[in-house]
Amino acid sequence: MPGAELDGVFAALADPTRRAIVERLLDAGELSVGDVAARFAISTPAISWHLQVLERAGLIERRVERQWRFVRVRQDALVAVEDWVSRSRRHWSGALDRLEALAAAQTPDRRKS
Amino acid sequence: MSKAAVDEVRLERLIPAPPEQLFALWVDPVQLAKWWAPDGHEMEVVTLEASPGGRWRNILRGADGGGMAVSGVFRVVDPPRRLAFSWAWEDERGEPGHETEVTVTFEPAPGGARPAVLHHRFATPAGRARHDRGWAASLDRLARLAGG
Repeated sequence: MPGAELDGVFAALADPTRRAIVERLLDAGELSVGDVAARFAISTPAISWHLQVLERAGLIERRVERQWRFVRVRQDALVAVEDWVSRSRRHWSGALDRLEALAAAQTPDRRKS
Repeated sequence: MSKAAVDEVRLERLIPAPPEQLFALWVDPVQLAKWWAPDGHEMEVVTLEASPGGRWRNILRGADGGGMAVSGVFRVVDPPRRLAFSWAWEDERGEPGHETEVTVTFEPAPGGARPAVLHHRFATPAGRARHDRGWAASLDRLARLAGG
């Protein structure tokens, strides 16, 4: 089971600010730490803390270029998340199909009227 | 890019049946067993206590005979509009794994209802608090290592 690692990833994503950071990074590709901080109305130390949590969970990686620090999402980290999302989506989509079929079978006159 | 969060699933469907009927199909164990399981699987509804705090547990069996159990606790049972429950796959020893949360709403729509499912990893403050405590414990260990 990929349990512990995936739990860490989802625990990191549980925080709305961290989830928003990841979503903005997904949109932007890569941002400097300053750019990330500028997009959120919270202190730089708080952003720095959130980035540390995301990095420890393996969700983001850092790159240093001269005095600038950049962060971006590690695509491999999201594979497990996407896998969970696609499995859940498949389950619910199929379940709603079957629920609809069963409801229709219970009320055979409904569609005809 | 979709605006859905990266760690949740949202689905909506227009079904030509009233909310009352769909809600009933969800909370009746005999009916639930007819539609919940994927094709090629059989399902046994072991427990279904459809009231707030009530437990639910289903066992899915594939063609190869292997079984998987999934279980949880009802958070909200508000017929015929809203259901919310926790969800966790059990391991081989019957221990529930990572807990996720499901909310289903049954909005009336012209000609029927528009059931909407939201399945995500952290719906409840309790679940979030547990994970925050997990992180706090990790940080404590890290601090001890760093300071030691």
